Amino acid sequence: MSPSKSGNTSSTLTELSSQLAAAVETAGNSIVAIHARSRIPSSGIVWRDGVVVSASHTVKRDEQIPVTLPGGESTVATTIGRDSATDLIALRIEGAKSYVATKADTDALKVGSLVLAVGRPGRDVAASFGIISAIGKGWRTWQGARIDRVFRLDLAVYDGFSGGPLVDASGGVLGVNNSALARGTPLTLPATAVDRILDELLERGHVRRPFVGVAAQPVALSASLVKQHGLADDAALLIVSVADGSPADSAGITVGDVLLEANGASLSRPTDLLDALSSVPSGDAFRLKVLRGGTVKSVSVTPADRGARQ
Amino acid sequence: MSASMLGSARAMSSNLHGLSEMLRRTVVEVRSGESGSGTGIIWGGAGLVVTNAHCAPRNMLLEVGGEGKWRGAEPLAYHPQHDLALLAAPSVNGPLLETRDAESLRAGELVFAYGHPLGIHDSLAMGVVHGITRDDRTGSPRWIIADVRLAPGNSGGPLVDAEGRLVGINSMVVNGLGVAVPAALVERFVERALTRRAA
Repeated sequence: MSPSKSGNTSSTLTELSSQLAAAVETAGNSIVAIHARSRIPSSGIVWRDGVVVSASHTVKRDEQIPVTLPGGESTVATTIGRDSATDLIALRIEGAKSYVATKADTDALKVGSLVLAVGRPGRDVAASFGIISAIGKGWRTWQGARIDRVFRLDLAVYDGFSGGPLVDASGGVLGVNNSALARGTPLTLPATAVDRILDELLERGHVRRPFVGVAAQPVALSASLVKQHGLADDAALLIVSVADGSPADSAGITVGDVLLEANGASLSRPTDLLDALSSVPSGDAFRLKVLRGGTVKSVSVTPADRGARQ
Repeated sequence: MSASMLGSARAMSSNLHGLSEMLRRTVVEVRSGESGSGTGIIWGGAGLVVTNAHCAPRNMLLEVGGEGKWRGAEPLAYHPQHDLALLAAPSVNGPLLETRDAESLRAGELVFAYGHPLGIHDSLAMGVVHGITRDDRTGSPRWIIADVRLAPGNSGGPLVDAEGRLVGINSMVVNGLGVAVPAALVERFVERALTRRAA
């Protein structure tokens, strides 16, 4: 056909378009394909020298994991560790030094920032485009991990994209995409959280998740109780079950106890207990203020590491 | 937000409007009897319309429409494997669309779909190139896969790049992704159909 007669010059669009394509190319240089499930491969990011991160639910085995490197070479990876609470897996890989991803500054991200999701669901990279639709602060995954910031995306995370990066307009990696962490809503685990989890996985093969072994529900306290014991809050946590042999069991906590405070901080929602637990240094005990049979007692409990049991 | 950022968002928005005005003049609506409608591309400036074969069923009364007028159209050729149809529609005309080879497309490039999804006329959708699937035998591009929102009625309409060049004809949606026939296959189909008729 003859050249365009449409006379449409759209320089801003053309510029943006080539920037986006360049960003995908840059990011693609650190994205691997992981062949560890029955359907299509999933994506992984060469995060550090010799270390690939991906979405744990997409990697169904721990040894002899076939991986296609960005340059097309095939190699084999082994599992360093998994964190089920954030669905992150770290893999050991050889010969991928030149592919380490460039991280971008996630603090500069705002709702409305342009972003790309990039994956390698086969030999070639693929991309989708959209904006940050929300930034969740202090989000807790349904398996209990607390993440300072999480990005909700207005873009499609397609089959094979889980474990791949969210990148900014210059191709810098902002985090790891995951479509399973929030029951199908595409989310991104920010690079800072990935670094923190990865440090723990490399150090001890799991992420420390202190637990005491109780299930609790919020209850309202009567005004007279609050007055009588000089309590800071009129809500507390009623223990509805105690796991056998758990730290709470050993410390003598029983069903029907009402938890008022942990290390001086009042407990009115179940997440308050999780927050108190995560601030206890490994191996240390913490003090629980318990209302039992109308009297307030102080109980010392040493949390155990749930991650280590997996 | 800084003034320069606001400026580039405005410039982009105005570019998008320009693109959509250009594309509006290159497409028609294609309908057959009482069934649903699709989009067609005015080919070669005048008299010809290319659309999806599934938008122009054989042995049906075909009509093409634009700017409120409906005119009769005759099918000239079909390519069922590529889901393409070439129609003769003597009274339609529009600007020539430059084409672009799928080989030069890069993942992440902006693409735009234009058409009449769900009966909403002259709709523009923006997305990016997701990837290209290739013919097992020849290795040449077979489908262009785009992260762009398509709906019934987009079928047969153009997928263009940021400069308004035709990269493919939107044909279907698979797993939420738009799937288009590469422009090179469309060109070859039209050339062969016209040569065969001339012979």
